[in-house]
Amino acid sequence: MKESIAEPGILVNLRSIPGLDQIEPGDAQWVLGAGVTVAQIEDHAGLRRAFPGLHEAAAEVASRQIRNVATLGGNLAQHSRCWYYRHRDIYCLKKGGDTCHAREGENKFHSIFSGNPCISPMVSSLAVILTALDATVVVQREGETVTLTMTDLYQRAWDNPTLHHSLDRSDLILRVEVPTRWSRSAYLQVAEKAAFDWATVSCAAAVRVADGRIQEGRVVLGSVAPVPYQVAAANRLLQGQTWSDALGGSVAERLLRDATPFAHNGHKVPIARALIQRALRHVS
Amino acid sequence: MPTWPEKRSVLGRRVRRADGPLKVTGAAKYTSDVQPAGCLYGMILRSKWPAARVTGIDLSEAVRSPGIKAAILVRDGERRVRYYGEELAAVAGTTKQACLDALRKITVRAQPLPFVVKEADGIQPDAPRVWDEAPNLSKPQVTERGQVDQAFAEAEVVVEGTYSTQVEIHHCLESHGNAAAWDGDELTVWSSTQGVFSVREGLAGNLGVDQSKVRVISEFMGGGFGSKFGPGVEGAIVARLAKQANAPVKLMLSRFEESLAVGNRPSSIQKVRLGATRAGKLVAYELDSYGTAGVGSGAATEGGGGGAEFPAPYIYTIPNTRVQHRGVALNAGAARAFRAPGHPQASFGIESILDELAVKLGLDPVELRLLNDPSEIRQREYRLGRDRFGWREKYRLPGSSPGPVKVGVGCAGATWGGGGGGTRAQAQINPDGSVEIRCGTQDLGTGTRTVMAMVAAEVFGLPPEAIRARLGDTAYPPSGGSGGSTTAASVSPAVYDACEKALAELQQQTGLEDVRGENWKPACRRLGLEPLVVSGQWQKGLSSSGVGGVQFAEVEVDTETGLVRVRKITCVQDCGLIVSRLTCESQVNGGIIMGIGYALYEDRVMDAGTGVVLNPNLETYKLPGIADIPEIDIVLVDMPERGVIGIGEPVTIPTASAIANAVANALGVRISSLPITPDKVLAALGQVKELTA
Amino acid sequence: MRDHAGLTGAKEVCDRGTCGACTVLLDGEPVYACMMLAIQAQGREITTVEGLARNGNLTALQEAFVDKDASMCGYCTPGFVMSLTALLRRNPHPTPADIHHACAGNLCRCGTQPRIVQAALQASGVEVLSRTEVISYAHLA
Ligand SMILES: Cc1cc2nc3c(=O)[nH]c(=O)nc-3n(C[C@H](O)[C@H](O)[C@H](O)COP(=O)(O)OP(=O)(O)OC[C@H]3O[C@@H](n4cnc5c(N)ncnc54)[C@H](O)[C@@H]3O)c2cc1C
Ligand code: SF4
Ligand code: FES
Ligand code: FES
Repeated sequence: MKESIAEPGILVNLRSIPGLDQIEPGDAQWVLGAGVTVAQIEDHAGLRRAFPGLHEAAAEVASRQIRNVATLGGNLAQHSRCWYYRHRDIYCLKKGGDTCHAREGENKFHSIFSGNPCISPMVSSLAVILTALDATVVVQREGETVTLTMTDLYQRAWDNPTLHHSLDRSDLILRVEVPTRWSRSAYLQVAEKAAFDWATVSCAAAVRVADGRIQEGRVVLGSVAPVPYQVAAANRLLQGQTWSDALGGSVAERLLRDATPFAHNGHKVPIARALIQRALRHVS
Repeated sequence: MPTWPEKRSVLGRRVRRADGPLKVTGAAKYTSDVQPAGCLYGMILRSKWPAARVTGIDLSEAVRSPGIKAAILVRDGERRVRYYGEELAAVAGTTKQACLDALRKITVRAQPLPFVVKEADGIQPDAPRVWDEAPNLSKPQVTERGQVDQAFAEAEVVVEGTYSTQVEIHHCLESHGNAAAWDGDELTVWSSTQGVFSVREGLAGNLGVDQSKVRVISEFMGGGFGSKFGPGVEGAIVARLAKQANAPVKLMLSRFEESLAVGNRPSSIQKVRLGATRAGKLVAYELDSYGTAGVGSGAATEGGGGGAEFPAPYIYTIPNTRVQHRGVALNAGAARAFRAPGHPQASFGIESILDELAVKLGLDPVELRLLNDPSEIRQREYRLGRDRFGWREKYRLPGSSPGPVKVGVGCAGATWGGGGGGTRAQAQINPDGSVEIRCGTQDLGTGTRTVMAMVAAEVFGLPPEAIRARLGDTAYPPSGGSGGSTTAASVSPAVYDACEKALAELQQQTGLEDVRGENWKPACRRLGLEPLVVSGQWQKGLSSSGVGGVQFAEVEVDTETGLVRVRKITCVQDCGLIVSRLTCESQVNGGIIMGIGYALYEDRVMDAGTGVVLNPNLETYKLPGIADIPEIDIVLVDMPERGVIGIGEPVTIPTASAIANAVANALGVRISSLPITPDKVLAALGQVKELTA
Repeated sequence: MRDHAGLTGAKEVCDRGTCGACTVLLDGEPVYACMMLAIQAQGREITTVEGLARNGNLTALQEAFVDKDASMCGYCTPGFVMSLTALLRRNPHPTPADIHHACAGNLCRCGTQPRIVQAALQASGVEVLSRTEVISYAHLA
């Protein structure tokens, strides 16, 4: 709104909807209301024990002052941070114009995977970990309540340059459900500054370990694609394995196989490779 | 010639900043906080084009917009604009929203022109011209000493490289801005400035009024770093708006505007060649450099545009040198003085190539400097700093640190002038013993108030808290702008002179021999009803110029992610007589931290396609945060016999060079362009695939 | 706050939630005033930097700021003071890492950060000695 990208005539305060700010523990899943603040997630001791990666991601979101007001729903539904998009006098593809300036321009912070001409990456830190945790999102849509996977929540942005996520204008995120089946989770990011900086690449991993073997694993990247980026084949490589650096290496290779960097963001590939290794090593 | 007292009881001590309590409670009023009764907001309409011929601007709708009390053109008639963000028109209104709405109602007829915003594009012969009169790339300024070609031919070793530095933005946290109020034909301006008198002079000239009718006040100001000497276009605008509206107007720039139009540090692209003997003695040096001061290259600009040249070969004396500088004009905001103008660029080039030479010769970088640095002060500082930093234990051959996270060390030296002059001060001793010191200088956060109070306290034998230092007002005795690290060296002698004279006068009037310390109050009481007011001025002998400093940096570099973290900086710096130790140390921290920003984070990004600044904010223009700050170890070298010398600038110069050298030492390859960001580190390590697209 | 209530301690530096100069406490927790509509704060308690010192007595943190010279130009200072006031209430014995985390959302261009860490530690009861030294040139042979 301050950059005049959106000029709504009416604002609706979602914070006044009762019951959206609860964190409810459970055996099979935890339920986080859409109005829960990022600080609430960061501070919740039980949540931290259950999902260390979620705590780590929340603690990296922006600054304490922002986390105190930023809600889970708003974090997931946030819009592009592309510096062309955010510039008041640039009218790019995502704003309804006809060109993407980043492709041939300053694309250091942009995607290395995209299914559409816009290369603005999805940057929500929470989306990355929640995707790895296989969370589902309960959305109120035209009077109905529908449940979306995290993949569903962003999929439409993969091939539509004007979208930031899959929600329609009147969709309202009510809550996020996080399954507890994971043994360990982790979130790591590399940003130019030590704190309060957008991730160049972020990476979340979650594994379910039994009998000394990884039964199921997820690795997800942020800030590299219009969606939280994962590859099913890469996740499958983990199944039934014990940890080794070589395993991490092959997961990274598979996950990054289709990367198509631009003139200024080739560094995201080695950074992602390092983060995948580190996150997996950490949870395994 | 006066001299400072041999025995000093206040000077050199760690005394609490005089205005500290006002700053920690929010009571300190800055220009942005001033709100004269009935004050309106001012706002500027800026060019959306990086280059255009403006043929008409229609204010009529804006004038009628609700809440708008004044609307003006910055310049009448047809005009050219030469960068995105150049000032076109301005309005004053009752609320910010009223101004924002009105700006949208101004229609500008313009014919966009081709533009160029990148150095490498600007130097091309067929690039669009920023100034019609001349090509973008200026004629070279060449200076040559000795027999350069012959010296290179005979040199036993020659190294060469290209080093580049970015455009850095001042980003003072208080933006540029003023509040202006007319009373008849007299104008009062509250200004966030480094020079109340230079703002007055600029405004009076600009408005065509007598200087005596303009009063400029800057009691507290939130940083300048060289960008706040003149009133700027925005200063003239606010005075004109206030006149037209017949009401006070305050106009503070937004962060967005700060990024476009109120100065920056010019970039540099330096091709350097250095020849030496096998023992490491420098014999030949050649520099071919160009850089941009934006539209300031090729034009005199508002606010004192600086060029892109710098001293070379900087602090070293080399018998044979050829130095060539060129400026390249671009469609971007003009440069202004920026903390030690030219020196960080100069330091980066020469200190980088020196380390390349050290590597080639297998010499320790500190030894190479000891061999070549002509300054006895820095020689001693290097030897002390080396031990304190633990250089001998920490220094390894480049790239030999084990593991994926590599550690490295580097060092660099610097010089700065400083020095004082041109300042008057007034001491008022009241019959109740209270003391006021007045001086038309300003406190940028450097601690000028504290310095004034300490000098007076020293002379009168009083605690510094007993002195009221008043500054930041053209109603007080004149002083110069606070730049060039000259404030302490200008103000301290003037206050000292005023106080010495006041003391003598008090002794004479009261007939008492000793009026200092505990005799003070009884003596003052004898003044009767009339306070003693005595003037003084800057005197030779109490200040000097020319300092040297060295810094050592230890960094770690994650070779898998390209991240650089500074672990430690050791700084050894001389600054003559230390007046206020606490604020002096703070200046050193500040300079080093700004140097860290220059080394690792800060960069103004221009977009070639649209001609705009892509990071006109503090989100993507990255200033170092609290977690990015390493351990900083400071040694101040005390040389009281030299009198007061400034310290604000020298301490920021060598930091980035030392860090870059430490990164090169860690990795065994050099990142030769600032800032050293992960993408550059990974590219230098060969980890980023060359793109064929 | 600034224009109508005259509470100018909190500063507007970026107006985009990136610098922390406008930090105030909302029901005791630090938030950016620039990122909050007045109506969102309806019925809630706002503490600005003006509301910390009582009867002219600085808080321990404010005292420590002055002692350690944790402000230079002072423009960022109110924001840092508010962030740290909230931290010390939540965690009276913070580590340097806790202090970094709490102040990550505050920028200072003058470079007071090392002294802000010292001030926060001092306010939490940890004595911090400066290692800074003054050495006479004559002794530097
Ligand atoms: C300087 C800065 C740095 C930041 N750094 C990070 C970072 O490192 N990592 C990160 O993840 N984020 C970061 N953020 C983003 C920040 O986390 C988000 O701005 C914040 O989470 C938004 O939450 P909000 O509740 O204020 O949402 P709003 O800003 O109010 O809303 C954001 C969008 O979401 C929509 N929305 C909100 N709630 C719902 C809902 N329940 N259902 C459907 N739509 C909804 C809104 O309509 C709007 O379009 C940063 C922001 C800033 C300003
Ligand atoms: S990446 Fe997307 S948001 Fe950015 S300029 Fe291109 S189209 Fe616009
Ligand atoms: S002014 Fe609010 S965060 Fe910068
Ligand atoms: S003290 Fe000046 S910005 Fe922090």
